[in-house]
Amino acid sequence: MLSILVCIKQVPDTQKALFDPKTGVIDRNTADNIVNPDDLHALEMALSLKDECGASITALTMGPSQAADVLAEAYALGVDRGVLISDPRFAGSDSLVTGKILSRAIEKLGPFDIIMTGCEAIDGNTGHVGYQLSEFLRMPLLTQIHKLRVSPGQVIIERLYGHEYQKIRVDLPVLITAGKTANRVRTPRLADIRTCAEREITVLTMDDIGGEAREYGAAGSPTVVIETELFSHRRERELFAGTVDEKVDKLIHKLKKQNILRY
Amino acid sequence: MDFSLSKSQLMIRKSVRKFASETLEEWANYLDRESKPLPPEIVREMGRLNIWGIQAPVEFGGAGLDTVSYCLVIEEISRVSAAVGLGVTVHNSVCLAPILRFGTRDQIARYAPDLASGRKIGGFTVTEPQAGSDAASIQTTAVADGDHYILNGQKAFVTNGGVGDLFIVAASVDRSKKTRGIALFLVEKSMEGFEVGKIEDMMGMRGNMVSELFFNNVRVPKENLLGRAEDGFRISMQTLDIGRIGIAAQALGIGTAAYTAAATYAMERKQFDKPIGTFQAISFMLADMKTNLDATRLLIYRAADLKDRGLPFSTESAMCKVYASSAAMQVCMQALQIFGGYGYVKDLPVERFFRDAKITEIYEGTSEVMKIIIGNDIIREFSRI
Repeated sequence: MLSILVCIKQVPDTQKALFDPKTGVIDRNTADNIVNPDDLHALEMALSLKDECGASITALTMGPSQAADVLAEAYALGVDRGVLISDPRFAGSDSLVTGKILSRAIEKLGPFDIIMTGCEAIDGNTGHVGYQLSEFLRMPLLTQIHKLRVSPGQVIIERLYGHEYQKIRVDLPVLITAGKTANRVRTPRLADIRTCAEREITVLTMDDIGGEAREYGAAGSPTVVIETELFSHRRERELFAGTVDEKVDKLIHKLKKQNILRY
Repeated sequence: MDFSLSKSQLMIRKSVRKFASETLEEWANYLDRESKPLPPEIVREMGRLNIWGIQAPVEFGGAGLDTVSYCLVIEEISRVSAAVGLGVTVHNSVCLAPILRFGTRDQIARYAPDLASGRKIGGFTVTEPQAGSDAASIQTTAVADGDHYILNGQKAFVTNGGVGDLFIVAASVDRSKKTRGIALFLVEKSMEGFEVGKIEDMMGMRGNMVSELFFNNVRVPKENLLGRAEDGFRISMQTLDIGRIGIAAQALGIGTAAYTAAATYAMERKQFDKPIGTFQAISFMLADMKTNLDATRLLIYRAADLKDRGLPFSTESAMCKVYASSAAMQVCMQALQIFGGYGYVKDLPVERFFRDAKITEIYEGTSEVMKIIIGNDIIREFSRI
């Protein structure tokens, strides 16, 4: 049976959250915490594999104790084991140190045939963790997957890469990141929601994964945030004059100029 | 006293809200406009999610939830489609629930798994053309004949009538005994002599196939009698006590949908260079709406919690139902007023909320009947002094 580990992260719902206009930082009191949307697509991909060919799924998250909520949600969806990495010494870790912590926990929990993450989290949007896990774990990485099939000892993945559509066969074990368009995430059954908060969660601390305090947290993180700026996206409107044919020509010309239409 | 929901109740609300907005929302207007039931694939998916067996035990394919969670499910579905909420609450609380509570082991084994999974849809019917609030005056008869009862008569305004597979039907086995002569029967659609009559062309709840049902010499096996023959009326009243909490939750869902739409619109719509929600006339309306809905919510949860703790809840159930339905009507009326002309056209769902809300003051016991129940309780309480 396949053994799969999915990394999931608890994030503030940035679509609903308000930002401090001066500092550009999210006001965490204005938004609920949710499972990072890309991670849910990764989780759904794992659950579909479990439905098709059987698999044992571990959901792994890192954060303070309330991050266990995302593991309860993962249990409701159908994972077999929930693991929380939580230690005050990890607070303030940047994406590099997060990758280090996760990879050490994975080595302790493993081995796994497939490790999955989302492409990026909606709070930091760095998209680093998949790449860093690949380095730390010395595993091949395939990013932005939207389809995955398993054949003995291998997986065949499909991905959109820029304007190209790729189909790749790769030996297990493999690390993949799931894209936004990967799938439609299932709704959990009410019976599974009722019991999910009571399921056992394994908690790992620094003492379990090894290393020293100076490697972790803010002290071990080389990333420095210099400034945060609020970004707003403005829509442009333009009216074309002329006959329908002329308008279509102008529109095509404009779209090509903006590199939206390429051919 | 803790008014907060538990972690699993919060998750249930979030999950059902997501399902309703992702799956039911696109159907809500269509069901209303065309007066059509939900397509079978969505009924099946709702079965997978345990929505047809919210409180049924897990061994029968249900979710085994408490009543507060049940109310959250009904509220969230009704926020998007009150007609779907109606089908779900009636199926769960007045068909499946009484079978589980009063049914024999054999009846539970035969019907509960199919109902809890949504493979069969259920209904419950007392009302007849001549017998509404005066339920004791029903004309449908059941005459014993060997191992069977033979049912004859007609039922009116049967929720899920057009799509249901199994109905709990009230019929009189002895008219002289009045309420003590009323029995309940589990009648399957496939039984000979059972006929679905006209599907009602209604003002609201148009996505529920409310219909007439006819019974023409329907032979119902004696093992399909629910409870004892003389207990039908008592079981009906106890069943409706539960059903009313669900209808109150449905009214709350409709009201919440109208309030949310109105508050959002009030902050977007500008007149005299200001969002209309910043004018006191509108913000006072919104304040009334919010307060009314919050009071409704607390009355519903209180009744549900009493039921879960095994305490008497009949009066509280009537109180939450009469208050919730009145609040829903008032909130929908104010929402429509805030939307102005846009609220009156069918492009927006506010007029649907308004039409759907009205029936909550009528079915599962009219507001007047609710006040009789509450009034009788007051009389009992104070005549002791």
